[in-house]
Amino acid sequence: MTTAIEFQHVQKDFNGQTVIPDLNLTIDQGELFVLVGTSGSGKTTSLKMINRLEPLTAGKILVNGTDTTTVPVRDLRWQMGYVLQQIALFPTMTVAQNIAVIPEMKGTPKKEISQTIDDLLTEVGLDPHEYRDRLPRELSGGEQQRIGILRAIAANPKTVLMDEPFSALDPLSRQQLQELVLRLHARYHNTIVFVTHDMNEALKLGDRIGIMRHGQLLQVDTPTALAQHPVNDFVRDFFGASRAKNVYDVYAGRVGLVQGYLKTRPAVAAGLIQNLDVQAPLRTVFDALSDHDYVAVTEDDQVQGYLDRQTVMAYLSAHEEV
Amino acid sequence: MHTLIQTFMERRGDLLTALWQHLGISIAALVIAMVIAIPLAIWACRRPKWAEGLLQLTSVLQTIPSLALLGLLIPLVGIGTVPAVIALVIYALLPIFQNTYLGISEIDASIEEAADAFGMSRMRKLFKVELPIAMPQIISGIRTALVLIIGTATLAALIGAGGLGTFIMLGIDRNDTALLLIGAVSSALLAILLSALVRWFQTAKPRRALTVFVAILVLLGGGGAYSVYANRVETITIAGKLGSEPEILINMYKDLIEAQDKHVKVTLKPNFGKTTFLFSALQHDQIQIYPEFTGSVLETLVKGSNPKGMTAQQTYALAKKRLAKQEQMSLLEPMKYNNTYALAVTKQFKREHQLTNISDLTRVESILKPGMTLEFIDRNDGLKGLKKAYNLDVTAKSMEPALRYEAINKGRINLVDAYSTDSELRQYHLALLKDNQHFFPTYQGAPLMKTSFAKRHPQVVTALNKLAGHISETDMQEMNYEVNVKNKSAATVAHTYLVKHGLLKGDN
Repeated sequence: MTTAIEFQHVQKDFNGQTVIPDLNLTIDQGELFVLVGTSGSGKTTSLKMINRLEPLTAGKILVNGTDTTTVPVRDLRWQMGYVLQQIALFPTMTVAQNIAVIPEMKGTPKKEISQTIDDLLTEVGLDPHEYRDRLPRELSGGEQQRIGILRAIAANPKTVLMDEPFSALDPLSRQQLQELVLRLHARYHNTIVFVTHDMNEALKLGDRIGIMRHGQLLQVDTPTALAQHPVNDFVRDFFGASRAKNVYDVYAGRVGLVQGYLKTRPAVAAGLIQNLDVQAPLRTVFDALSDHDYVAVTEDDQVQGYLDRQTVMAYLSAHEEV
Repeated sequence: MHTLIQTFMERRGDLLTALWQHLGISIAALVIAMVIAIPLAIWACRRPKWAEGLLQLTSVLQTIPSLALLGLLIPLVGIGTVPAVIALVIYALLPIFQNTYLGISEIDASIEEAADAFGMSRMRKLFKVELPIAMPQIISGIRTALVLIIGTATLAALIGAGGLGTFIMLGIDRNDTALLLIGAVSSALLAILLSALVRWFQTAKPRRALTVFVAILVLLGGGGAYSVYANRVETITIAGKLGSEPEILINMYKDLIEAQDKHVKVTLKPNFGKTTFLFSALQHDQIQIYPEFTGSVLETLVKGSNPKGMTAQQTYALAKKRLAKQEQMSLLEPMKYNNTYALAVTKQFKREHQLTNISDLTRVESILKPGMTLEFIDRNDGLKGLKKAYNLDVTAKSMEPALRYEAINKGRINLVDAYSTDSELRQYHLALLKDNQHFFPTYQGAPLMKTSFAKRHPQVVTALNKLAGHISETDMQEMNYEVNVKNKSAATVAHTYLVKHGLLKGDN
């Protein structure tokens, strides 16, 4: 795999105080990398140093092998999408004009831009005829952030940076948009750096997750590895804190993450296996296992793995006190 | 109401000209103020310390009283449209600057961050993001400025820039409510109309808004260019102080000069505010001629002490000599009438008590009930000195100028101070008492111009000298009466007099 973004001994000071002492990190091409941490951990600052919204105090950041300080800042930013927590659509521009911001600056022909806008709107389930000429204030929060994402990817950038994009949205919109991000990522294979303070979101989205505290990267790993081999108590607690308040609300995917799935399809009749989405809560899993031998956990209709009664019992008894 | 409509119909030509001038001055000032204030505010948005200073400065500029500002500008840029526009620009700066500055600096930081993160250049960010967002606030600043400008532009009339203020000044001066109302209402309507237009600009499609804006500029600019083109022939500008009398005089000047020399065109600028404004305008070649009074010359325009009790001839000779020496100006031959302070009684009272001279008043001291203006009572060349000179022992009630005429008309008082050519003397059947001791200074009117101008234009001097020794006090009262009370135009009244007295050939 080629490297998309590389932090080399990056240091960041604010008013003489060092908030990030020495950050080293490699993000691969086409990876959905999630930086997670509590507020003040330096995750957003790290993100903003990639497109130079925040200057580095020391060290360097390479994007596709080039030191970011050696290219004009505008060229750097034109090839990077950016999604903000505050959404920040330009309020005087229509939906179409907002999406067209970067392609227009790059000089893409108008017809092509117009086609892209229609395609993208259709892709996120908004009817172009109805939405093209609306103003941001005429949209719901969830719709606005969809446009925010489209604005970031309209020029087909290799890299997209997302700074806590869903933290201000209601749970339903948040879930829909998380799925949208996964879908768009699967389709365009761009590198996404996603910042969040929500471990559940990180676990759901991340190919790999980096956990930050006090400007330091504590652990960088896949969700499964992170769940099964936390490097220290902070990571364990952080992960633990992401569990549901009630055991019945823990989602099926989490059991798989923590406990590990059965990977091969059990050799039983199809009637003894029930398919359930990763987001299905444990109460549904209990229900399914009462009259089936196995549950197949699916995400976007792809089977992620299988759970049986033993796995679920082991999760309940061994791993987490509820 | 009837008089209002009548006045409106008589004056609609003048009103249109005044509206046009008013609009021209206002729009010019507004556009200049925008061109200065908006870029300055944009520049200051990134420099908060400067912004603070500039806000203070524009606030201070706005507190300067408008009359003082005009007075300050005359020595620097003269009279007419230029100083008026400058003064208006100065007043319009604050609202436009303040609103633009606040509109841009209050934009949400996340929007600014988004624009930066997408690699927008400074200019693109300004025109695509910041200005559109701040636009409603900027427009509201422009509207505030516009209303302010249109209101203040009425003062432009004081320094000869014309506009609707002319109607208001004349209305006040002649105590003519119809004129005053026409001026004030037109100015208010203009403000409302333009304010609505500006609001329309805000909502209109940008291209159409721009088209209309350019059209307005072209129209106004075209009008200006046309008037320059139309004035190619040699133009002499004659101005006059506020009031009917100077306006009648300058109309006579115009008729006489144009009859004498067909190649000369005379433009009139009536109703200037103050003597010093006019004198300064003459010094700076903004105007070429204006009627001045011998007494005023000695009192306010030239240096030197004035001996008491001079005759009319002595006063004129001294004024002429000092003007020539100190200012290189020529005061031509004066007319007959003496527009000075005077004492007046009703014709009936005069007859009953056989009064001719002011000194005769001592005989009737016991029954005198004088009502006079506060200024006259308090001046050394007014009642104070008069009492000493004529050994008169009276106490006067102080009254508003218009009220004292009303009062003598109703018999509440029987002696008033007056200017000897006031139309009210004619209106209320009053008679003047002769100043047999030559106590009041003489104020004889005569055309004033630079000596260099007089030498280059001998035909103008010849034309104007025809008036020398003409026009008695009664003539002038009569003409003032025609204009102030009968609402005839000054031009007509002037023309009629000249024809009647054989100074001008009649129109056939």
